[in-house]
Amino acid sequence: MQALNKHLKKALSGGDAGIILSALSLVVIFAVASDSFLTQYNIFNLTRTQSLYIFVALSQAVMLVTGNMNLSVGAIAGLTAVIFGYAIEVLGLPLPLALAAAMTVAMAAGWFNGFVMTKLGVNSFIVTLSTLFIFTGLVYGISEGYSYRGIPKDFVSLGRGNFLGLPYLFYLMVATLAAVWYMFKYTVFGRQLLATGSNQEAAELSGINTHRVIMGANLLSAFFAAMGGLLWVSRLGTAQPAIGQNWLIISFAVAIIGGTALNGGKLTAIGLFGGGLIMVLIKNGLILVQANVYFEQAFLGSIILLTILLNRWREVASKKGKSS
Amino acid sequence: MKRFMKLTGVLATSVLLAGNAFAADVKFAWYASTVHPYFDEVQTGVDKFSEDFGIEVTKRLGQDWTQDNQNENVTAMAAQGFTSFSIFPSDVAGAKGLYEELAEQGITIVDFGQPTQQPTPASFFVGTQLKRAAMVATEELIKSMGGKGNIVNVLEVPGEATRRRSEGVEEVVDSYPDVYIIQTVGNLSTIEDSVEKVENAIAANIGKIDGIIATGYTPTVAIAQLLTEYHQSGGKRIHFIGIDTDEVVMDAIREGHIDGTMAQNPFGHGYIPMVLLKHMADGYTPIKGTHNIDAGVLAVTKDNLDSYQDDIAAMTKTIVEELTTKYLEKK
Repeated sequence: MQALNKHLKKALSGGDAGIILSALSLVVIFAVASDSFLTQYNIFNLTRTQSLYIFVALSQAVMLVTGNMNLSVGAIAGLTAVIFGYAIEVLGLPLPLALAAAMTVAMAAGWFNGFVMTKLGVNSFIVTLSTLFIFTGLVYGISEGYSYRGIPKDFVSLGRGNFLGLPYLFYLMVATLAAVWYMFKYTVFGRQLLATGSNQEAAELSGINTHRVIMGANLLSAFFAAMGGLLWVSRLGTAQPAIGQNWLIISFAVAIIGGTALNGGKLTAIGLFGGGLIMVLIKNGLILVQANVYFEQAFLGSIILLTILLNRWREVASKKGKSS
Repeated sequence: MKRFMKLTGVLATSVLLAGNAFAADVKFAWYASTVHPYFDEVQTGVDKFSEDFGIEVTKRLGQDWTQDNQNENVTAMAAQGFTSFSIFPSDVAGAKGLYEELAEQGITIVDFGQPTQQPTPASFFVGTQLKRAAMVATEELIKSMGGKGNIVNVLEVPGEATRRRSEGVEEVVDSYPDVYIIQTVGNLSTIEDSVEKVENAIAANIGKIDGIIATGYTPTVAIAQLLTEYHQSGGKRIHFIGIDTDEVVMDAIREGHIDGTMAQNPFGHGYIPMVLLKHMADGYTPIKGTHNIDAGVLAVTKDNLDSYQDDIAAMTKTIVEELTTKYLEKK
């Protein structure tokens, strides 16, 4: 029991506890403000959207943790969706092959980002800003703006089905976060990602091949972006070229609200879970309480900022308490 | 569509035989903001014009929806000697500056899709009368609801077009004492945002919504998919009328998950402005007091799913026939 408590305490480090508490506070506030909040339909949709947000956030977080960023996450997602749709509807490929084709293209995109960053030494902001345009151009060049509709029903059921009232995507998200937690906690690669982000020079001096680590981060980022894109296709039932268009802000916002350090070296799975939850709660809550549609962005931004500030205040207060 | 192609061919021949010929230095151009299925359909009208009249039209698409991008591209085209433009203004206020520059160079412009704010150097606007289209859509929705009930009004990004559409919806709802707008959802620019917010709106009003109206393309596609899923999983029937004829939307109508959509006339948005430009290059001038040309809009339901295009084609034919009597004169 003591070991369990110790693990729980460790798992819920100060920062994570603050994020989870913030999320729970929002749950209470909206549950009181609206009697529609705790309905089965709303919980299902909340958790499903949260799950999708987590993949978006992961695609950015694995780059942030190394001290880099990826502005092309949405474009990679859109490209994956379009390649998948094209493979299914135009080429008539079976589902597994279409998925493989889509993932291959996504990983190639990630590899390209990583190659230019590591071998050519270009800053991640500049590389991924350029590839954002390149990949977006490919999306519209291939699809010409049209969406692909012949998505197999089995695949669509992944994005729409449920088990015990919670969406399949929720379980997939939890499993993915568990894998991410394990990777950062117990694998060499995970620790190397954190070390590279904390201090790249020191990591190199300690023998870590940081170029390989950053390449790995790019591949992981592309993987999560592609997963997110495909899961959105599954959710929508069509492969839309517009998938990923609004991912940039969400990918940063959820990752940072979830405690991922902007300058690298820190990422927690529980924090990301909480960050995704906070984001969907705020957006859901604003609709439930019928916030003025024209001021909605202002409300959204203000609540996000307030959540981050409260969490920051709590962290500082907690540190002061420990030092005294 | 084939019937219309034939009809336009006849019309084009008669115009050509009338013996009017414009100066050899007139060059025709068509410009739209960026890649979008709507512009693909509009281009079919432009291509048909070229085919019918034997006139080359250079078509360009921009890189994004910003007015800055449009200004750069269109001024570059003007520098290349294009004299007659059919343009989709990226920003209805911002485009006026561009048009004034073009007009100073003697360039003729016709707006399509959305009109620049008055006063404008554009000779005409050809497109859907947004408020009227929204009103027709709302009437259709209320009819499907049996004349009473609660509606969720779904809007795209704030702007002139959205404001007009919203006015149309509200005006019609006000005329029905037993119909209420219980929530307005807006600021929807992406498919994911549309799905998330409309889902949230359904959750917020679970069991109370009788109808949803969407007057924008992206929300329409999102809601068609959302309601398909909602009804398939046993949710209470929610009536819906959207806009535009994306195949996803047409599938949903066919399968009975949504009631219908408003078909615009993108072919006409492409064809009619080019005919106007050709007539003006031939010496015609706008009749005073004319500017907006309604290319027409039609409610598409399960009943006319396979035949609505013929009706749209007939609308376009009528408009083209009337151009030199209702909208243009030769002094």
